[in-house]
Amino acid sequence: MTKFILTIAFFITTLAGAQTQYEQGMQKAFALWGEGKTTEASALFERIASAEKNNWLPNYYVALVNTTTAFQTKDKNQIAALLGKAQEALNTELDKNPENPELLVMQAMINTAWIVADPMTNGMKLSAKTIEIYDKALKIAPENPRALFSKAEFEIGGARYFGNDTKPMCAQIDKAIELFAKFKPETPFHPNWGLDRALEAQKECNKK
Amino acid sequence: MKTIFTFLFLAFSIAAFAQQTISGKVTDEKGHPIAGANIFIEGTYDGDSSDEQGNFSFQTTAAGKQNLVITFLTYETLNQEIAVEDFKGRTVKLKESVNTLDAVVITAGTFESGDKARVSVLKPMDIVTTAGASGDIIGALLTLPGTQTVGEDGRLFVRGGEADEAQTYVDGLRVSQPYGATTNNLPTRGRFSPFLFSGIAFSTGGYSAEYGEALSSVLLLNTIDEPDNEKTDISLMSVGLGIGNTQKWEKSSLSVNTSYVNLAPYQVAIPQAVDWNRAYQSISGEMVYRYQFNSGLLKTYIAFDAADFDLNQENINQPEKIRVDVRNNNLYLNSSYKGYFGSNYQLTTGISYGYSHNKIGIGLDDVKNAEHATHMKIKIGKNLSERIRVTAGADYFTTKFDEDFKENAGNAFSSGYDNNIAAAYAETDIFFSKNFAAKAGFRFSHSDLLQESNLSPRLSLAYKVSKNGQFSLAYGDFVQSPRQEYLKYSSQFESEKTAHYILNFQYNKTGKTFRAEAYFKQYRDLVKYDTEISQFDSQFNNNGKGFAKGIDLFWRDNNSFKNLEYWISYSYIDTERDYKNYPKQVTPSFVADHSLSIVTKYWISDLRSQVGFTNSFNTGRPYNNPNESAFMNGKTKAYNNLSFSWAYLVSQQKILYFSVSNVLGTDNVFGYQYADNPNMNGEFQRQAIRQPADRFFFVGFFWTISENKKENQLKNL
Repeated sequence: MTKFILTIAFFITTLAGAQTQYEQGMQKAFALWGEGKTTEASALFERIASAEKNNWLPNYYVALVNTTTAFQTKDKNQIAALLGKAQEALNTELDKNPENPELLVMQAMINTAWIVADPMTNGMKLSAKTIEIYDKALKIAPENPRALFSKAEFEIGGARYFGNDTKPMCAQIDKAIELFAKFKPETPFHPNWGLDRALEAQKECNKK
Repeated sequence: MKTIFTFLFLAFSIAAFAQQTISGKVTDEKGHPIAGANIFIEGTYDGDSSDEQGNFSFQTTAAGKQNLVITFLTYETLNQEIAVEDFKGRTVKLKESVNTLDAVVITAGTFESGDKARVSVLKPMDIVTTAGASGDIIGALLTLPGTQTVGEDGRLFVRGGEADEAQTYVDGLRVSQPYGATTNNLPTRGRFSPFLFSGIAFSTGGYSAEYGEALSSVLLLNTIDEPDNEKTDISLMSVGLGIGNTQKWEKSSLSVNTSYVNLAPYQVAIPQAVDWNRAYQSISGEMVYRYQFNSGLLKTYIAFDAADFDLNQENINQPEKIRVDVRNNNLYLNSSYKGYFGSNYQLTTGISYGYSHNKIGIGLDDVKNAEHATHMKIKIGKNLSERIRVTAGADYFTTKFDEDFKENAGNAFSSGYDNNIAAAYAETDIFFSKNFAAKAGFRFSHSDLLQESNLSPRLSLAYKVSKNGQFSLAYGDFVQSPRQEYLKYSSQFESEKTAHYILNFQYNKTGKTFRAEAYFKQYRDLVKYDTEISQFDSQFNNNGKGFAKGIDLFWRDNNSFKNLEYWISYSYIDTERDYKNYPKQVTPSFVADHSLSIVTKYWISDLRSQVGFTNSFNTGRPYNNPNESAFMNGKTKAYNNLSFSWAYLVSQQKILYFSVSNVLGTDNVFGYQYADNPNMNGEFQRQAIRQPADRFFFVGFFWTISENKKENQLKNL
C-alpha cells in the first residue's frame, strides 16, 4: 500500500510547470502524501475542497488519503475516525454526483477497509453491498479499469478461501490491465492509480 | 496575454487587500496542544496545520468578516466567524467529538446488537448460530444474564418478572402477541424469523421513556432498512421447509418468507413424553416492503401464522387424560416511516395491528377468543447541537379482547374488555463531555378502562472512568395494565407498578466485553385474587407487592483464542412477591436463584465448520407442596442443558446445519402439579412437569441463491 501511494505521489509531482493556485495546492498535497505526512496531505486537500466547491477531486483525495491510512492503522478507534472522515468527504461529492464511477469505487474501498478492520462484524453486512456498488460503477463505466480490477480483487479473496475457481477473476484482472493501458485521465489530477497492484495480482494468478 | 492578465490581476488584489497574518494555538478543552489540526478560512486556499505545540500561522488575502474552520479527527469541527485583521495569537479550544467509538454510552440495563450499536453484545448471526437457540431470537436471549430459563414456558422472564411483563416492539411499534400458540407446560417460541432483523436491543430494565406498558423488559427488533442484494433462500429442515425471496428496485425492495413446519416426522423419530393426537403444524409467512423517499424510509411488515395441534394431557386431578386441541390464527401488520423534515427534525411514525384468534377444545368444553391490538405512534427528535438531543412523542394503544367459553353441559360464558391507553413522553440526551452523558425523561399515560393516569420519570447517567471502563446508573418508574386473564373478568383495577434502580459497570477492549450489573426492583399494586385460578367470580384487588434484587455478570471474549468466541453469563437473584392467590410473599415458582450459561463457538477452518456448545445451568426452582404447611417450600433439583450445533459451509451459499439440545438427556423437572384433594391416606399426589422429549434434534440445509455469486455457484455444481 505504501508503494501504491508513493507511485501516485511521484507521478503527480513530476508534472511540469504548474500554474494555478489549484495546481500548486494539489501538487503540494501529493508531495506531502508522498512524504508520508498523511494528516497534512488530508488537511491541504480539505482546504482545496473548501475553495473549489465545484471540483470533486479534492474531496475524493481526502477520502483516499484517509482510507489508505486506515488500512495501515491498527487502533480500531483511529480506524473508525479515519473512515468517518473519508466517508464525510465522499458523501459531500456523492450527494452532488451519485453516478461518478470513481466515487463509487472509493465507496467500495471504504467498505473494504471496514471489512478488513472487523471481518466478523462487517463482513456479512458489507460484502454484498460492496459488490453491488462495483456492479453499479461498471454499469456506468464498463471500461473503468479501477472498478473492474477492484471488484475482481475483492472477489478473489472469498473464492480462494472456499477453494472456488479463481479463473474468472483472473480473466477480469487481465482485462483490467488492458483497460489501464487505454485509460486516459481527464487531467493529471484525476484518479489514475491501480495498474501496479493489478500487475501484482496478475502475478499471483499466474503462479498456479 | 493570459499571463499578463493574471499578473495584473494578482498585483491588483495584493494592492487592494494587503495580506493579513492569522495566528494562534489550538488546544483541547484541558489546554493541551493539538498537533495536526487543519485551520483555514472557508472558501479560500489559506490555511495551515498546527505544529507540535498546537501553533499555527498563515497569511490570507481575505478581509473583513470570514469563517474560520478548524477540523481535527475525533474532535468537533469548529466554525467561527472572525475578523481577519484582528485574529492573532488567539487560543482556540476544540471539543472532543462525542460521536466516536470511544465516547461514553449509556448501557445500564441494555444489551444491543446490530449496525447501530456501538457496543454490540450479540451479533445478529449469533441468534442463528447459538447452540440450543434453534434459530429462535428468544432462545438466544436466554443465554444473557438477567433472564430465567423457564423450560416449560419458553418465553422471556426477566429479573423476577412474569413473561408478560416483557413487551416486544418491531420498528418501535408494539407486538401484542409475540409468541407462537401453545398450551400448558409446552414451551413456545418467538414468532419472528431472525433473518429479517438487522438490530436487536434487549433491555432488562431502566429503559427509555419511549417505551411503556412493560414492567420488566423491552425487546426492540428493527427490520433491515435495505437488503444487501436480490436473493432466494431455500431451507429444508427436519421440521419443515421454507422459502424466501428478496427483490430490489431503484427505490424500493420486497422480502417475502414463507415456511411450513410439521413436527410429526420428528415426533415419530424421537420418543415423546407427550401423547400427541396431531403434531404441531404451522404455516406462516412474513413480508417486508421498503420504500426510500428522498428524506425518509417507509417500511411495511406483515406476518401471518396459522398453527394447530392436538394432544392428550395428563392431569393429576383426572383419571383420564384431557384432550387439548388448539387452532391459532395470527396476523401482524406494521407500517412505519422514519425521515427528516424542516431544519433537521427527525420524524418517526407508524401504526401496528395485531390479530390473534384461538379456538381451543379442552376435553369436551370449547373456548374461542380473539384479540385486536393496535398501536399508533409518533415521535419527533431534534439535535440541538452535537451534544444535546431532545425527543418527544405520543402513543395510542387499543386492545379489544373477547372470549366465549362453552361448557359441554350447554352453559356459555362471555368475557372481554376494551383497553385504550394514551401516552405522551419527552426525553433529552445530553453529553456533558465525552466522558459523561445523561438521559432524562418522563412518560405520562392514561388508561380509559382503568380510569387512571400515571406519570413515570426515567433517568440514566453514564460516566467513563478509564479508556475502556465506564459506570452507568439508571432509575425509572414503570406501569402496565393488569394481564388479559384478569382484565377479562373485571376492570376494577389499578395498573401494576414497579421502580428500577440499576448500577452498571462495563469494560470494553477489542473483542472483549465485561459487564456487571446490580439492580433493585420494587413492585407495587400487583393483582391478587381469592380463588384457585383467576375466574369470573374472583374477588380481585391491587394489594400485591414484591421486590427483586440481584447481580448479573457477563463476559464475552472473541479475541484471546484463535477462532474461538465464547460468552459466560451468570445471574444471582433474590426475589419475592405476594400476588395471585399467594397467602404471603415468597419466591415465585419461575425463579431460580443462580443461573449460569456458557456459550462457545469454534471455527474450524479446514472443515469450514462452526462447532458450538451451549451449557445452561440453573439451581432448583420453588414449588408449592400442599403436604407441607409452609407455602412454596419445595425446591426442584437443578436444571442442566448441554446443547451442540454444527454448521458446515458447503460453499459460500450453502450451509448444512445440525443441532441437538440436551445432548446428555438430563431429565429436567420444572415443577410439580399437585392434586386438588388429598387421597385416602391424606396425602396430595403429584406429577412432575418435565420436558416434552429428552432431546431435540434438528437438521437443516440452507441455500441462498443470488445474482452476485451465480458465477461461482454454477461452476461448482
